[in-house]
Amino acid sequence: MSNYADIVVIADQIKNDLRPITFELLGAATDLAKKLGVKVQAIVMGYELGDIPQTLFHYGANEVFVVDKPELAEYTTLTYRRAALAVLEAMERPPHILLCGATTIGRDLAPRIAAYFETGLTADCTELEIGDYEHKGKADPAKTGLHKDCLYAIRPSFGESLKARILGPWKNPQMATARVGTMMPNEPDNSRTGKIIPVSVNFDESDFRVSVEETVYEVSNTVDLTQAKVIVSGGFGLGSADGFDVVRDLSSAFADSAVGSSRKAVDAGWIPYAHQVGQSGKTVRPALYIALGISGAIQHRVGMSNSATIIAVNKDEDAPIFQFAHYGIVGDLYEVAPLLKERFKTAMAGDVNVAKVGG
Amino acid sequence: MSGYKIAVLIKQVPDTSSKAGVNPDGTVDRARAKKMLNPFDKFALQKALEVRAEHGGEIIAITMGPPPAKEILAEALEYGADKGYLLTDKRLAASDTLATAYALYSVVKYLGDVDIVFTGLQTTDGDTAQTGPQIAERMDVPQITYLEKLAVVDGKIHGVRVIEGGVQKLTTSMPALITVANSAKPLEHKRFHNVHSVKELLRNEEELANKIFTVNLDDISADSSRVGLVGSPTVVGKTWKLGEKGGSCALFKGDAVSVEVAELVDKLKADERGIEELVQ
Ligand SMILES: Cc1cc2nc3c(=O)[nH]c(=O)nc-3n(C[C@H](O)[C@H](O)[C@H](O)COP(=O)(O)OP(=O)(O)OC[C@H]3O[C@@H](n4cnc5c(N)ncnc54)[C@H](O)[C@@H]3O)c2cc1C
Ligand SMILES: Cc1cc2nc3c(=O)[nH]c(=O)nc-3n(C[C@H](O)[C@H](O)[C@H](O)COP(=O)(O)OP(=O)(O)OC[C@H]3O[C@@H](n4cnc5c(N)ncnc54)[C@H](O)[C@@H]3O)c2cc1C
Repeated sequence: MSNYADIVVIADQIKNDLRPITFELLGAATDLAKKLGVKVQAIVMGYELGDIPQTLFHYGANEVFVVDKPELAEYTTLTYRRAALAVLEAMERPPHILLCGATTIGRDLAPRIAAYFETGLTADCTELEIGDYEHKGKADPAKTGLHKDCLYAIRPSFGESLKARILGPWKNPQMATARVGTMMPNEPDNSRTGKIIPVSVNFDESDFRVSVEETVYEVSNTVDLTQAKVIVSGGFGLGSADGFDVVRDLSSAFADSAVGSSRKAVDAGWIPYAHQVGQSGKTVRPALYIALGISGAIQHRVGMSNSATIIAVNKDEDAPIFQFAHYGIVGDLYEVAPLLKERFKTAMAGDVNVAKVGG
Repeated sequence: MSGYKIAVLIKQVPDTSSKAGVNPDGTVDRARAKKMLNPFDKFALQKALEVRAEHGGEIIAITMGPPPAKEILAEALEYGADKGYLLTDKRLAASDTLATAYALYSVVKYLGDVDIVFTGLQTTDGDTAQTGPQIAERMDVPQITYLEKLAVVDGKIHGVRVIEGGVQKLTTSMPALITVANSAKPLEHKRFHNVHSVKELLRNEEELANKIFTVNLDDISADSSRVGLVGSPTVVGKTWKLGEKGGSCALFKGDAVSVEVAELVDKLKADERGIEELVQ
């Protein structure tokens, strides 16, 4: 048995639908757990959770703590906080590492848990690793010295074009939230099982100071940008809201595609915020990303640079996006986009129908 | 009692859109950089102004930082805040979010009886979005993060919170802490009248001292072992530049557009990138 405590992932679910970030976190946790020789544990909170624990096993959890209560049917900060604390405080020792998604749930809950335990929390990580750390500073003697097998929580600082490795080895759990779309999930293995540990929780009246009146899902957001295989994005180079017609048209050439945008196009009011890719929008990792009239600012780039194939169309040969796109066309997007669509259809569609019949 | 006592937390951050102090590779020289009010905090200020406009009360802007951070307190007054508090103390240096949250919580506690604390969603420098919820935990109050709209009715806050693919409508009791989304209503322009009186104020030290207060940790009875390096559970261990990935773009230019497009698609096929499977 390892000297270390286990790695715990807080599952992110909305209405009993596990969000993809949960699988990404389990993937990251599996890698970290291997290096430490420890288990991956998951905490899932909600109501009538059914076979969600099984799914968590399939994706890499060894043990699942389940808090299943009617009060947890909808996410609220204080009820989920209480439930998470109930699980964590029932453990013999604090986890070595505790991971949450950098989602509207994780970013709401994780800071409260970290503050409760007075432990460190690194935000929006894009990489997680294990390694040693020697703290040379002597200002705080309690921190000085070599620390083995710490969590390296790595995050970009876009404002400063830096990547930073944040450490907090002095107290467990070492906590981090992971940015959606940056960690690799495990291949699910439906034969994997594990131990389910039900946990009870005593709510306090004060946990109900917030009530949810209604949760509304916007129809225009039904395409989840982070799940699309192909994203065609438009930027300020479109010149007007109508320009998105060209973007949508090119996007329609692909199955499983979605429309993205730069922040400048969102700020101009041409398309809703839900489509924004980048630092203050979504991080995406599609098989194909086509950028039309986007200059490639660092804040946009960090949201899409992990796409498998990037094609950029820009009339300015010196646009920064050509520094990291895989393929580029220098030209007017209004000329290029319709031709691209046509060419994709004629040159490539043949093979596809065969693939489709097979699949 | 009439109206609400509202605290708005604002931070001074490097202005990376200005060339000053921004190195060619995008890294920032903090000492030389121009400074600005964190753009996310303007949405918080707007919400505070809306609540005061409807219900009356007092808006107190709070910042923690080195002495020049006073500038953003004056700016907040120009936008209509009633007072400003600067928490400045050498012992705060190197505070992470947990320590920062403790320090800011101590200011809020010192002010006493605050009904609503508004914060920005995140900053443009540290960019963690953690400080707000960590203050709420210290205060033992409910929070609404990512808030886009709100109405205060009968002492309760009705808020609309942005979530992935939709919104949540929530109600909370007060006191509460609210982090305001950057998709909320933008901050309205400064009123000429306010700008003018702040100008006057800055010329009159005595008056200024009644509007913008400077406090240190001892003034607000905060525990110095819970801030700064000693009070921070995290450190930045190492930083490196966001590397230039790629740089090997296959660029098609100079020909007729139709030729460029044809060549690109042919190359995509030749490179066997699997794009075929994506076309419908
Ligand atoms: C804190 C912060 C957070 C941010 N977050 C984000 C974010 O999440 N996402 C994001 O995208 N940005 C973000 N930004 C903004 C970012 O810095 C850029 O301003 C933005 O990405 C620029 O958008 P753009 O490329 O569409 O516009 P521009 O930079 O104006 O580029 C337009 C491009 O279109 C080209 N063009 C013009 N006409 C045509 C034509 N007819 N055919 C072909 N090309 C043409 C031009 O050559 C130019 O390169 C953020 C900024 C800050 C400070
Ligand atoms: C590159 C880099 C990475 C960092 N990563 C981490 C990390 O992962 N974890 C960590 O704990 N610390 C981290 N820090 C330290 C962190 O930036 C500081 O603790 C900072 O004081 C507060 O965090 P923030 O800027 O992220 O604010 P956020 O939490 O993003 O700010 C949210 C809101 O809180 C309010 N607020 C924040 N700071 C102040 C202030 N000084 N005065 C008044 N109001 C304020 C504002 O309303 C703001 O909109 C990092 C710092 C750097 C430079």
